[in-house]
Amino acid sequence: MNGFLHYFLSALDPMSNLGFSRAFPKLMTSALPSWWFEVVLPVALVVLPAVIVWLAYVVKPALVRPPPLARPRQAEPLVSVVTAGRNESATIGQCIRGALLCGYSNLEFIFVDDNSTDDSVAIARRAALSVTRSRHDTERVRIFPSPRRNGKASSLNIGIRMARGEFIVIHDADSIIQYGAVQHWLLPFTDPRVGGVAANIRVDNSTVNLLTRLQEVEYAMKFTLAKFFQSKISVMDIISGMGGIFRGEIIRRLGGFDTGLGDDRDLSTMLLKQRFKLAFSNDAVVWTTVPETRYHLWRQRMRWRRNIIKIRISKHRDMFLLGRYGFANAVIAMQLAVRLLIPVTLLIGLFWAFYQHGLEGAPEVVLTFYWILVMFLLVRILVARDVASTPKLVNFPLIFLYPFYVLWLEMPNIYAEWSELFRIGAKHHYVPDHIWEEIPWW
Amino acid sequence: MTANPHLDATVVETRRLDLLRRIADSGGAISPVAEPQAKHGYQYVAPAGDVANDLAVLARQNYLEARFFDKVSLCPKCDGCHLNVREICPSCRSAHLASEGLFHHFRCGYVGIPPEFTPEADGGYRCPKCNHTMHHLGTEYDRLGKAFVCRGCGLVSETPPVEAICLSCGARTPAENLVSTVAFSYLITSRGAEAVRRGRLFGDDDEPVRVADAAVYRRTVILEFLLHQMKRLLQLNEPFSVMLVRWAPGETAAHDGGEPAKWLTRLKGCLRDVDLIGQLADVLYVAVLPHARSRDAETLRRRIETELGPRSPLSLSVVEIKERKDLAGVLAGLAGRGEPE
Ligand SMILES: [Zn+2]
Ligand SMILES: [Zn+2]
Ligand SMILES: [Zn+2]
Repeated sequence: MNGFLHYFLSALDPMSNLGFSRAFPKLMTSALPSWWFEVVLPVALVVLPAVIVWLAYVVKPALVRPPPLARPRQAEPLVSVVTAGRNESATIGQCIRGALLCGYSNLEFIFVDDNSTDDSVAIARRAALSVTRSRHDTERVRIFPSPRRNGKASSLNIGIRMARGEFIVIHDADSIIQYGAVQHWLLPFTDPRVGGVAANIRVDNSTVNLLTRLQEVEYAMKFTLAKFFQSKISVMDIISGMGGIFRGEIIRRLGGFDTGLGDDRDLSTMLLKQRFKLAFSNDAVVWTTVPETRYHLWRQRMRWRRNIIKIRISKHRDMFLLGRYGFANAVIAMQLAVRLLIPVTLLIGLFWAFYQHGLEGAPEVVLTFYWILVMFLLVRILVARDVASTPKLVNFPLIFLYPFYVLWLEMPNIYAEWSELFRIGAKHHYVPDHIWEEIPWW
Repeated sequence: MTANPHLDATVVETRRLDLLRRIADSGGAISPVAEPQAKHGYQYVAPAGDVANDLAVLARQNYLEARFFDKVSLCPKCDGCHLNVREICPSCRSAHLASEGLFHHFRCGYVGIPPEFTPEADGGYRCPKCNHTMHHLGTEYDRLGKAFVCRGCGLVSETPPVEAICLSCGARTPAENLVSTVAFSYLITSRGAEAVRRGRLFGDDDEPVRVADAAVYRRTVILEFLLHQMKRLLQLNEPFSVMLVRWAPGETAAHDGGEPAKWLTRLKGCLRDVDLIGQLADVLYVAVLPHARSRDAETLRRRIETELGPRSPLSLSVVEIKERKDLAGVLAGLAGRGEPE
């Protein structure tokens, strides 16, 4: 390991670059496991796709960002935007206005209020009125105030039941659809095998503080850049609940969401099981409001991670059966297994390095590791910036902080994983009791 | 019109007095009763004549006090009150809506209208999504509020729009576009009771100095003032002008024109203490402006017009009186117009 690090550091040094080719074979034999785990594998998994996307974009931009069709004046299909929320009075107004004024005329908005204790419903009605300008134009905006708390899944199902659209957008009350997004969002549906299209989730409140800036960088990597490649080779595994559009007939045939989580991942998985493809549209931009405090961010991440485990391990564990739902799904299963394993292998790797080198070698190990990560990040952030114009340039220096941010986010993730695996506090506070007791999945 | 207007006036007056007496005899109040055949759905029980109009006139002359009784919605096209008001589907505008609580199955989260759930022999329902039977309302499934399901196109809406269809002319009108009129009940006033006791309605001589609820002098009083001012002009050489105020609510101002009293009070606020204003005819008032030359009067007129704004239903004109025939001309010019009630 020590030898590898020396060689690797010398490889970074331009003065001794010429020695790299001679050192390479020795390096491979001297520190094989570390080499593979710390350089080759991450490059292959994370950096290489980004580079491929960028090369494709340079050579043929339309491949990565298809322009809107100059199609004959055919009728625009009806798009229903379904939003469910509880106590969302702060954002629901702009959410409704954003959707209705997004430049797509044949659109209806359905807001299901999950028995809020604040004035969400009144604000939603006022926002609706301000846009439609007519009290009896209730066709475009319909609001359903639920008399009882039902949780997100059931609330969305109410909205889906009310929706008439050929396509249904599942939307968050704290997100805003960008002007012109819907036209781009519908583009991938020209392929009949596509069942759902993910929007490009961008961070609306990125300038609030350091945490939100870091999230912008994270979203650029995770929700934007990664999905370009995934959608092209059909291994996209999730359409985020902050912005996803689906074929209405599929959602209706599935009977909407299953109870408990209201989870985008669950619906995406069900779509994949029916052998539909998931796609991504970079120009369908949806602006979301991200958590601004550590407490809220950790809670969000714990919720996400718990949902992953619940859905993958408990409900859809047959997705791990290779080939059962087609090749792509098996790839996703493996990808997920890797993703769950990464934090664990990271920890083991670190402990192993410390064990090998003792405490005096530890700073060197960590430092090397850190610079490798920063280099990878630099490549990805440059690609993301070029291809998708995100993140903002001022946030580029944050890549030095980013590895710490990721490490720090592993804390809630690992906590969520272990408590979920050992079923500690398995019940979610955001699922009402009367529904939780009836759920058969876990 | 018949030959003798005086006779007509007497007939009308007698009829109105009869009506007043009838009201006094039946407890001092009259309320409309629902009558499907009536034009606006309500009518007053009385022997003859245009009772609604007579009551309105009597109320205007302070013999009766009008009180709100009910609001009647009318078809904006034909003014008829025979409306069929119902909720309609916002999409296909069909009235074939069913109000149902949506079923919500907790186990699978399915939300649907009741007909989608097959009833079972044991009283439960079978869920179309997960195929489980649900028995217990509240623990296994729930009814979600009230929703309207269109039987025509299947649209589920929470607050469907309301539309009225006119049974007389067939016009379809959204509920918020219906016009409305108010039906009043009437209470006899002390003046009304006095008229009944005396057996005749009050004539001009009986009226007080000022017109009811507007702070303007009535005709005889203001004419007296005018003559007095004329004398001062002739003997003391004191100039004066008059401002003629015509109540002319145009098409646009008709809705918010409100009471003449309101506007006259505003007008009066612009006048000096020494100025006097009185009613010459039904829709005609005059302000006497002592010591005002025509230039002063014109300035005042312009100031008042700005003060009242462009929506003012009052049209103003000023004349300086310099000799006897000026005043005669002004008064003569009025003769043909504004026949008092
Ligand atoms: Zn069910
Ligand atoms: Zn309908
Ligand atoms: Zn009519």
